[in-house]
Amino acid sequence: MHFAPWFLYSVITVVAWGIVGLLQKLSTNHLSAESSLIWLVVGFVAMEPLFYPGKALFHYSTWSMAAALVSGVLNALGAWALFAALKNGGKASIVSPLTALYPLVVILLVPIVLHESITKVQLAGVSCALVAVVLLSA
Amino acid sequence: MQSESGSEERVAPKQGWNARWFWYSMVCVLCWGGWALLSKIGSQEIPPDTMQFLFTVGTVPIGLALLAARRGELERSPRGITYGVLNGILSGIGGLTLFAAYHTNGNTAVITVATSLYPIVTVLLAVLILRERLGFRQVVGLLFAAVSIVIFSL
Repeated sequence: MHFAPWFLYSVITVVAWGIVGLLQKLSTNHLSAESSLIWLVVGFVAMEPLFYPGKALFHYSTWSMAAALVSGVLNALGAWALFAALKNGGKASIVSPLTALYPLVVILLVPIVLHESITKVQLAGVSCALVAVVLLSA
Repeated sequence: MQSESGSEERVAPKQGWNARWFWYSMVCVLCWGGWALLSKIGSQEIPPDTMQFLFTVGTVPIGLALLAARRGELERSPRGITYGVLNGILSGIGGLTLFAAYHTNGNTAVITVATSLYPIVTVLLAVLILRERLGFRQVVGLLFAAVSIVIFSL
């Protein structure tokens, strides 16, 4: 089996976020969901010195920098909306699989925004993965 | 959420399309979809570590807004705080490698879907550590995940 670089990076993401999923369960035994999100941001900020790019930061285009900044805003806003859904009567068994479908937005927009297409084999993998995510998130 | 007192007419609007939770869920889906797409757009030019740096700067205003909404009051649970901060560090590591995956020329839709498979690890760890039992739905989910991983590796 040959693994492309993106696949190996993705495996690390899946493992790291998978552990986060478990810790999230444990942390909400002690903290409210909002507090949990606040401390998560503290964890992000604690790592900032490791990633500080120095003067190189000003070499990138405004568009790319804006995309990176807004991606952070949207990620945190999405987490807040998830907690708000659960707080407003949404059952976790419905809300979690529903929100796990966020890749659909990417699948729909990528051909328009990035002019990328996927092969039939990739489409089969994407379909299986989406079914898996919905089943596993419930 | 469902009342058993017979006031179903009042409760009914909270189900389906009219429910507030449904629309919050949709906001979540759109925000996370936008996050993934913008992450790819930024990663085309910016290396993963700088992406993570800028991403974090973006999350701070939301964290501060939540803190302000709670008037600065947070539960004082050392264990909860430890889990929360650890979540941030691990999420950051996962984010860093996601940006690295986007920084390669891999297909954006495939990478986004593949990295959304993280509940596999959560479910398996919950079985191993929390002694939770796998339900039929989760077993089927794991099978679909395994098939998708094999397809992605082709």
